[in-house]
Amino acid sequence: MFSGDFMRPEVWHALSVHFPIALLSFATITMLISFFIKEMSRRHWQIAAGLLLFAGCLTAWISIYSGNVADGFVARKICDPTILKDHEIAGQTMTWLFTAATLFYIVFFTKAINEQLRKFSIYIAFLLMLTGTGYLVYTGHLGASLVYEQGAGVKNHSVDCEEYE
Amino acid sequence: MKHFKILTAAFVFFFLISCGEKTDVVDSGVYQGTVEEVEADKTEIYVKTADGNLLELYFTESTTLTKDGQTVQFSELAEGQKVEVEVRKEGKRLDPVSVKILE
Repeated sequence: MFSGDFMRPEVWHALSVHFPIALLSFATITMLISFFIKEMSRRHWQIAAGLLLFAGCLTAWISIYSGNVADGFVARKICDPTILKDHEIAGQTMTWLFTAATLFYIVFFTKAINEQLRKFSIYIAFLLMLTGTGYLVYTGHLGASLVYEQGAGVKNHSVDCEEYE
Repeated sequence: MKHFKILTAAFVFFFLISCGEKTDVVDSGVYQGTVEEVEADKTEIYVKTADGNLLELYFTESTTLTKDGQTVQFSELAEGQKVEVEVRKEGKRLDPVSVKILE
């Protein structure tokens, strides 16, 4: 299943990148829902959003690393590496936006500051998450374009599929 | 409020230093410029040409690297060096045919 032939360096990026896509988009949705939930259970939604955000951020940085490794292999084969560069820049921007959101979210959960600043920090965090989600979609779109239009990281089989016999 | 300012300033600083710069595509030909960045693990260099274009060049198996007419190792390349690169445009990909270290 996970043969050495399959686990090429560029494949690690494809394996890792879907975690932040799922976790960060659900973090934003969960956070949005928390604003419309009754005071009593709101805290649970906020904690869930925080955990999703933290896990998503961690996996986003792992994806940045795996993407950087994949870049060296993929950029030499595709026909338009400018898309790859845009994908890289959008991915980094997205990761920094969610990282900043995480920091503001941590500020929200600390009790060292007054209530007004805590409320302010959660709105800032949500704004950063919304912007980050926009970049997440754009990064994903560019990544999909690299794979499905330029065959980035895709191993082409022979015309007669001889290697599968 | 002081913590907020520090947090925001730190974020903006790291954001600016970490996000990459867009690169340019030029026609096949010979260009002179300065090495902006060397990524040894990917055998990749960024060259800023005299007319302001930023070229991202991934060395291929056939790329030649010379200094004073002698073939040299990739490790000879360093940021700030003046270089002359011959590139071949394939689609929008720039393959370096040769790189000469000028100084």
